[in-house]
Amino acid sequence: MIVYLFFVATALLSGTSYFIRNRNLSHGLVFAHIALLLGLAVYLLPNLGQQLDDFFFCDQLGVMFYIILIIVSLVSAIHYITFVIDRDVRPAVQALHNAGTIFFTGAIVGVLLTSHFGVLWAFMEATTLGASVLIYHNRTSESLEATWKYLFICSIGIALAFAGVLFLGLAGQQVKNVDFTFATIKSLSGQLNPLWLKACFLLVVTGFSAKMGLIPLFNVDIDAKDVSPSQVGASLSSVLMNAGFVAIYRFYEAFSTTAILHWMNNLLMITGLVSLLFAAAYMLKVRNVKRLFAYSSMEHASLVMIAFSCGGLGYFAAILHLIMHSLVKSSLFFQVSQMHRIYNSKLDENIGSYLRVNPLGGLVMLLGFLSIIAMPPSGMLISELLMFQTLIANNYWWIALIVLLLVLIVIYGLAVRMLGIVFLKKDTANINLNGSTNFESAMQLGLILLVFYIGLFRPEIIVNSINLAIKSLPA
Amino acid sequence: MINFLIVVFIISLIYISKVEMVKSYFSLMGLQGVLLFGLAYFELKGGGIIQLLFILVETLVFKALFVPLFLRRITKNKIHRHHGTPIKGYYSVLIATFIIVISFLIGYFLHDELKTEADLQVKYFTAAIASIFIGLFIAINNRDLVTHLISYLVIENGIFLLSLALGSDMPMFVNSAILLDIFTSVLVMGVFFNRVKDYFQNMDSTLLSQLKD
Repeated sequence: MIVYLFFVATALLSGTSYFIRNRNLSHGLVFAHIALLLGLAVYLLPNLGQQLDDFFFCDQLGVMFYIILIIVSLVSAIHYITFVIDRDVRPAVQALHNAGTIFFTGAIVGVLLTSHFGVLWAFMEATTLGASVLIYHNRTSESLEATWKYLFICSIGIALAFAGVLFLGLAGQQVKNVDFTFATIKSLSGQLNPLWLKACFLLVVTGFSAKMGLIPLFNVDIDAKDVSPSQVGASLSSVLMNAGFVAIYRFYEAFSTTAILHWMNNLLMITGLVSLLFAAAYMLKVRNVKRLFAYSSMEHASLVMIAFSCGGLGYFAAILHLIMHSLVKSSLFFQVSQMHRIYNSKLDENIGSYLRVNPLGGLVMLLGFLSIIAMPPSGMLISELLMFQTLIANNYWWIALIVLLLVLIVIYGLAVRMLGIVFLKKDTANINLNGSTNFESAMQLGLILLVFYIGLFRPEIIVNSINLAIKSLPA
Repeated sequence: MINFLIVVFIISLIYISKVEMVKSYFSLMGLQGVLLFGLAYFELKGGGIIQLLFILVETLVFKALFVPLFLRRITKNKIHRHHGTPIKGYYSVLIATFIIVISFLIGYFLHDELKTEADLQVKYFTAAIASIFIGLFIAINNRDLVTHLISYLVIENGIFLLSLALGSDMPMFVNSAILLDIFTSVLVMGVFFNRVKDYFQNMDSTLLSQLKD
């Protein structure tokens, strides 16, 4: 009941926000929704592991990503206040954006908490619509192009994923009383025809690849992150990517006790490897910082898939990696917003001496760079090491070598651009030195330091939570 | 009767793949909506009245009437002929026919493989797979945005047929999901379609190629 009330309140807040032209009130509604998210968290935490009603449950994986969602949403909402002032955003545009933000966040909550494949699909569809509104924010020809492409390709992807859900129904036709809840499908999966399950999983991975930023539908995701405001790019790179992963994970978990487990692992491995190849190739030539970070997200989504496909310790590595990546990548996107305010450009050739121009912002960029390439003490080092360890333990030596080579190319691509931005001397005569506040950078710094903390101390709560989340998967 | 409706549906797919006049799309979409209603009616007439009413709204009211009229309205009858396609009409027909033949083969292969385990309704399955792939082919082969919208609807019609392959056990949520999907996507795409049209004064999707690495 509480979850339904949350969705009703979300719909009301989103609808109201659309009509509110007062700037402060409009921002207030977004913060009210974040307070609502916190309230729901208070209800969820004592109910961990419980089925809440017919369509929603509270499992460890969903709750972990739910907490990430709250953190990213809060920082994003604070950044949007500055963004509105700096860009002199029209009240109508702000109202639509805030309505879209609330709607999008509510849809992500639905994806994380549902226990029903049909409802999961419906909420994923809703994220497409919410994200489209957010991407269109700047009302430029580029944002229009990106929005159209995102909407069109994601709609086709979602339609394919729905075909996957129908194949699941086809698979369950011969079994009595089959419904589309995760628990039922998992308990009956041994009796379901493997061919239909394979078709279902293939279509689901294809359909949701746009959400996770993987092949084959990754390019609309890259464009979306590039043209949308940086705080939207941060959400797409973190919470939406997590939601895409959770959606694929639900199907994987339900089918993991069947004979197609090995086939699913191979599919995820191939998806990860090819995506990593594309990301590495593009990161060598891209000049736009936001696109660079978007391709970096693709690289990390690929690593998550590769780790996950190895099973065992790889499951742990994949989820830990996603948590770290959400914090680091959203920080980098938030920082780009400030950088853009100073240099009025997204191209690396126009940006330089950032550490001198904005010391705290430069520090965030530098530490963010070290984190994202998994340098110690970044927590991402642990997840990447675990991934390589699992690859080698599974005798995937040649895959480990390919991944290592591609990751090195990615690091080179990132280092050339980001170290140039931070250290390389550039003419700073035409920049806006008032375009940044330390308070904003401090938030990003906090998120990156959190990743360092996790890397150094490996808090028990996170380790236990991940272990609980993956306990139902085969060892 | 079902076989007749399916054959007409498949013929309409071949015709859609070669259409050059944009307004023909609207009547074809309307025709497909009526055909889908007929198929759903004969397939599900043993079911409850609520389900039948729902199907009636989804197919006749929404697919056959609302969507074509909405598309006609947003294009305001200004677009008569869509822009050049990489693969011309005659070859498009050949490719669509090839897709249909392959879909038949897939359908029969799966039916023979799975007949003891799943009661696959080959006729629906074949038309569904053909519709999905022809929709994808139309999307790839055409450059204007209104045709992209049509291709999406053709894919959705294929998915509707796929849901019929599930038989009368089809849960209500499947229908609701398809309706929600088309309703929201078509409406939102329609809004952005208008924006694109106003901004670029053209419907050629090659104009939407500013975003590069």
